[in-house]
Amino acid sequence: METWKEFEHNVVTHSAAHHLMAVDDLVRKLGYARVSDVARVLGITRGSVSVSLQPLKEAGLVQQDENRHLRLSAAGQSLVDSIKTKRHVVQRLFAEVLGVSAEQAEIDACKLEHLLSNETARRLVSFLRFVDRGTAESRRFFEALRSHDSQCSHEPSACPSCPSACLADTLRQG
Amino acid sequence: MFEPGCLPMGGHHMSQPAYGSAPRHTAGGASLSTDELAEELNRVFAEEIEAAMRYLHLANAVRGLDRLTVEPILKRGFSETIQHAEVIAQKIRALGHVPRVELQIACPGEPVTARESLRIALTFEEAALEAYQDLLRRVEGDVPMEEFIRSQIALESAHVAELKELLVG
Repeated sequence: METWKEFEHNVVTHSAAHHLMAVDDLVRKLGYARVSDVARVLGITRGSVSVSLQPLKEAGLVQQDENRHLRLSAAGQSLVDSIKTKRHVVQRLFAEVLGVSAEQAEIDACKLEHLLSNETARRLVSFLRFVDRGTAESRRFFEALRSHDSQCSHEPSACPSCPSACLADTLRQG
Repeated sequence: MFEPGCLPMGGHHMSQPAYGSAPRHTAGGASLSTDELAEELNRVFAEEIEAAMRYLHLANAVRGLDRLTVEPILKRGFSETIQHAEVIAQKIRALGHVPRVELQIACPGEPVTARESLRIALTFEEAALEAYQDLLRRVEGDVPMEEFIRSQIALESAHVAELKELLVG
């Protein structure tokens, strides 16, 4: 299967992920979540929230009681937990390891959180555990990584990472 | 029923109380400032505009033989919802504000069945009804506004009831 088509097979869309996380956050904070609360948190209309929640209810991820209070099912909670973990891990990877600004790291983590596979996320967690150990090896790794960043010669012929053009140069815009 | 011409425009709707920008405190306990009230009305304005867009989309997305019966219902829903939005916009203007709307709406380019279209319409009509019911609680004490919101609730309730009736069975 072509990779781009996998987006169609993702369990939840970006929007759906945020609806689920909003329900989770509200229940943790207020003890309940209503459609109106989710709408305010996400800055969208109640109609939009209601329409978006419908497939999530049908998928068994969200439940609504007789008082119209929302809560996540066990499957929904598990999905939200994994998405939040991925956001946290990706955010840390970008900001703390790669040196991306905290703001940009948060934005990019938000874009990726629901798309990342559990397999890749597990490897990232393992990598962060290596970083967090603070051993001599991990410290040396960081020092080497940071000094290497400043050594780019922008010469593709002398760079093992660049197939033809300088990869760094292609990303200078924007 | 979606009755043509059932605009919620009783005479009292046009006679607005004079709102200042400072918080107003009414005998009934409502303490929304003019700005807060305008903000609340902007929210239901957005609900109505978005519902109208969804009706228009559904009216053109529904497929199958039942389209013959459902399309007019959806188009009537569109017309009436736009009228509701206009009335809300007039209320916002009467407060000295300009209606503001920010929408994030995605309507998929896929056909829907007649039943599905009505189910979706019921979902956002119920949401609009709840928005008015919440607003009613917030404007308690402001009698003209209360009456206006009640009339909107009556209309939205009728929409919801009709859609539920159509979805029976």
